[in-house]
Amino acid sequence: MKDYINNIIKPKLQGDGGEIDFVSYENGILTVLLQGECSKCLIVDRCIAWIESEVMRDMGESVKVVAQKKKPFFWDK
Amino acid sequence: MAHIKVVRRSMRPEEWTDLRFGWLKRYIYDEKFEIENLKVRDARQVAEMQYEYYPEGFRPLNKGDMYFTPDGTAFFEADVIIPEHLQGKELWFSLKTAAEIIVKVNGKYVGGVDPNRDRILLTPYIDSDVLHFEMEGYNRSKPDDERNPESLSVRGCRQIFEGAYLATINHTVLDLVYDLELLLDIAKSELFNEDYRNFLNREINNALNLIDFDDLKTEDVASAKKYVDDVIYANDDYKGNGDVALIAHSHLDIAYYWRRIHSVQKNLRTILIQLRLMDRYPDFKYTHTQAYTYEMLEKYYPDVFEELKEKIANGQFEPVGAMYVEPDCNIPCAESLIRQFMYGQHYFREKFGKTVKNCWLPDVFGNSWILPQILKKSGVDYFVSNKMSTWNDTNRFPHNNFIWKGIDGSEVYACVPPTHFITWNMPSQIQENWEAYQDKNQGGQTMSMFGYGDGGSGCTEEMIEVMHRFNKLSIMPKTEHISGQEFLEKNLKDNKNLAKWDGELYLEMHRGTFTTKSQMKRYNRKLEYKLREAEIVSTLRHLKGAEYPHEEIRDIYKKLLINQFHDILPGSHIAPVYRDAMADYEEIDARLNKIIGTGEDYFNSLNFTRSHLTFVENPNGESVRYGKRGNWVIPNLPPLTCGEIVYNETNADWLTIGEKVVTPFYEIIFNTDGSIESIYDRKAQREWVGGEFNKLKLYKDNPGVYDAWDILPNYKDREVEVKILSPLKTIERNSEVASFECVLGTETSTWKRIIRVFRQSRGIEVENIVDWNEKHVLAKAQFDCNVLTRKAVCDTSAGFIERDTHRNTTWQQARFEVCHHKWVDMSETDGGIAIINDSKYGVGLLENSMSLSLLRATIRPDVTSDIGHHEFSYMIYPHTEDFVKAEINNIAYEYNVPLGKADLTCENSFGELYMQTMKMSEKGNMIVVRLSEQNGRRGKIKLGGKVKLLNFLEDVIAETDTVEYKPFEIVTIGIET
Repeated sequence: MKDYINNIIKPKLQGDGGEIDFVSYENGILTVLLQGECSKCLIVDRCIAWIESEVMRDMGESVKVVAQKKKPFFWDK
Repeated sequence: MAHIKVVRRSMRPEEWTDLRFGWLKRYIYDEKFEIENLKVRDARQVAEMQYEYYPEGFRPLNKGDMYFTPDGTAFFEADVIIPEHLQGKELWFSLKTAAEIIVKVNGKYVGGVDPNRDRILLTPYIDSDVLHFEMEGYNRSKPDDERNPESLSVRGCRQIFEGAYLATINHTVLDLVYDLELLLDIAKSELFNEDYRNFLNREINNALNLIDFDDLKTEDVASAKKYVDDVIYANDDYKGNGDVALIAHSHLDIAYYWRRIHSVQKNLRTILIQLRLMDRYPDFKYTHTQAYTYEMLEKYYPDVFEELKEKIANGQFEPVGAMYVEPDCNIPCAESLIRQFMYGQHYFREKFGKTVKNCWLPDVFGNSWILPQILKKSGVDYFVSNKMSTWNDTNRFPHNNFIWKGIDGSEVYACVPPTHFITWNMPSQIQENWEAYQDKNQGGQTMSMFGYGDGGSGCTEEMIEVMHRFNKLSIMPKTEHISGQEFLEKNLKDNKNLAKWDGELYLEMHRGTFTTKSQMKRYNRKLEYKLREAEIVSTLRHLKGAEYPHEEIRDIYKKLLINQFHDILPGSHIAPVYRDAMADYEEIDARLNKIIGTGEDYFNSLNFTRSHLTFVENPNGESVRYGKRGNWVIPNLPPLTCGEIVYNETNADWLTIGEKVVTPFYEIIFNTDGSIESIYDRKAQREWVGGEFNKLKLYKDNPGVYDAWDILPNYKDREVEVKILSPLKTIERNSEVASFECVLGTETSTWKRIIRVFRQSRGIEVENIVDWNEKHVLAKAQFDCNVLTRKAVCDTSAGFIERDTHRNTTWQQARFEVCHHKWVDMSETDGGIAIINDSKYGVGLLENSMSLSLLRATIRPDVTSDIGHHEFSYMIYPHTEDFVKAEINNIAYEYNVPLGKADLTCENSFGELYMQTMKMSEKGNMIVVRLSEQNGRRGKIKLGGKVKLLNFLEDVIAETDTVEYKPFEIVTIGIET
């Protein structure tokens, strides 16, 4: 799962100025760290749902993605 | 006494007007017929015109469905039968989207939709009752959306489809919408006369009162429109002033928050949209830069390219800019900038029969002083660049239309428009431009660019429609929509009243771009010189009968030039752009190695004798540098000559190591962190160190939103502790060099410094091997010199620039971080210290102190920026005469140009000038030699025979057997073969 997030999902989010890092995967809960543009995206829930469906299709696993957002100081108002 | 603030909670009349304006816009479309059989297929672009498709294939796309994926491209298809009741009517395609979509109907490219426009006129392309739609979209969750506030809330990778329609338009409504767009902009802008704005608010209200919004009738809208004509446009009681030229333009970053591969489609969409506007508005003229973007269009969309050629021929579509891309103009060397013009102009000549007369760089982060000469010798008389007027953080740049005098005395006409290069042509923006214009009395018109940009897209119907109404408004400045070149010739050419700016066009912002993404800067420097080497050896081999690799060199050069684009080389881009660039650099490196090849003997490609200590790789060598074995030798190879290198191993008794390290030149006291307490010069009998010297300094570097771009003047406020992980120790001592190593670090990074002193060189080299894992940290090497001076001298790659080191005025205060190339020097008349580098560009200069910027750690646009392994070196070079007599230029060249092998020799070395290149001409009929004066002298070179004098486009200007040159001049000669 870590390789999948870091090698398959990450480059796609980076393509939109975002950043995702694997944090943990336990009991169907996939925790990821979102930075860059993702950290302030107002509609990131749509993207999280997309990640869940991508994981289901490619890994055959039903996961719930929990996103931790790390906004840089200059957007943290 | 209590104070009660009165807050108005009831609706103001202006809000009532805004509400009704919003309602009116709902009636722009008379009828909308939903396309219900649209299918979409998700993909991801992996190369130019190449896609990886998601496995699901095409699926139906209905209103309310989610579409687009992160970094995704979507392909759409539909066959639509035009309903009978719409047949024969003026028909539009309507699609509201946050993405960028190219629309093809019945095999023809008909236009584009994006956040700035949501409809395309279909009528000219309807040749049957069935319309076959093919569309390609790239999602647009990009920062320039902020200029279009309506799209902010839907910015993101996944979008909700809002439906696609065939539609008809109520032109009466649309006409009034454009009127109100224009008039409300004035009414809301404090830049215009208050009484006139009151008049507008009153009369717009009166006009809208003629419409019953509960039962909107077109004839009522027509009455309101007539009221606007008769009452508002007819009023000329309120006089504006000013004279503003309106120039249509779209800035297209070929990579930024998107990869270069995406700019192929961004460019197509932008050009298509402008072509369609030209079809509808014959007076509309548009400027487009970068020969590379034309090349891409020609390569992948030849039909549109043919259409474009027609519009260029009729004068509506105007190629501007002359250069291959819009490069950074601080970091690329002179030869790279020359090639930007040469390849750009050759393309424009070949395809359109035009030599472009202007350099057009609206978004570039400051402009080197060497540019005017390069422009002039590339057929370019005019320079346009916006940023100094709108982005300077300290001083207001004092001119907009002026003459720019370059380092060698060359002069070009320059325009720094008073306002941003992205505007939407609204009256308030035009008024703002006029008010900000500083050359009202002598500069003629002011330039106002209009059109959306950064990711392209350009002008809209609305921008043109409002422009057609400007002359109905007496309050507005006089406006004229003309081409870029028309503006420049009309206002600047032969204008004797223009002020003159003699110096670099320094941008008081984005000072971090000299340093961000260190690896790219290192590769760029290395490959610029490697290309030089490849062309020289290829030319000399060609003279011996070998084929000259024209196509290969041209292709490689263009690849390097693309990566000098002003959001690539400066480091202001997302991670995939960096990966693309690094892959390009590795490919270029390998291809150049193949061209250069090898030989039995060492070849000195410099046109002066290599007489300074050089590291020459040798698997059996006794030293190690950058992880490779070799020897430190003085090659003593004559210019452009090959030969053997004699390396005499002697003993190591040339130095003593104790409390002081004593070399033939110095007595040095090192600190355990590699900083230097003292350098006592045994020959000059003087101390060079005046404080912290060769001290590694780390600072918290928090510049804000422009993270990758900026270093702020407060960067020294908080230092980051540098720990000594391993104190300085001797690691090497042989017949030429003694090396000392220490390891420094923070909690997350390690920094190895290898310091070398030499038997035969005054240089003290510092090799840095860094594993860098910081966030928001700027690394500098500080050198407080025992030198009394108010100026530092910086290499520009084609001459030197003197910079004040005091902070007397705001102009010096703003230049706390500047760009240099191979070296920077602080001297008294009888000696000083140069810092020569192999890959660094940023430097801070303050009184007697130089601080070389080494690494940054920014997180926007790329969270991973600069994290990883770095290797770079610099050389501290105290000298006992001035920097010219000390041959700092020669030493810096020798430090940057590795000594390779090739069995070649050239008879002529071309005197005291520096050979920037020797190549076969693009036509293949001449050897082209480019020489630059870099020490501030004038003189002449006798060539022993007739040669052609060329410009930088390789046009023959004259014939001569003697070349006279002046300080900092770049001379190109052609020798017929």
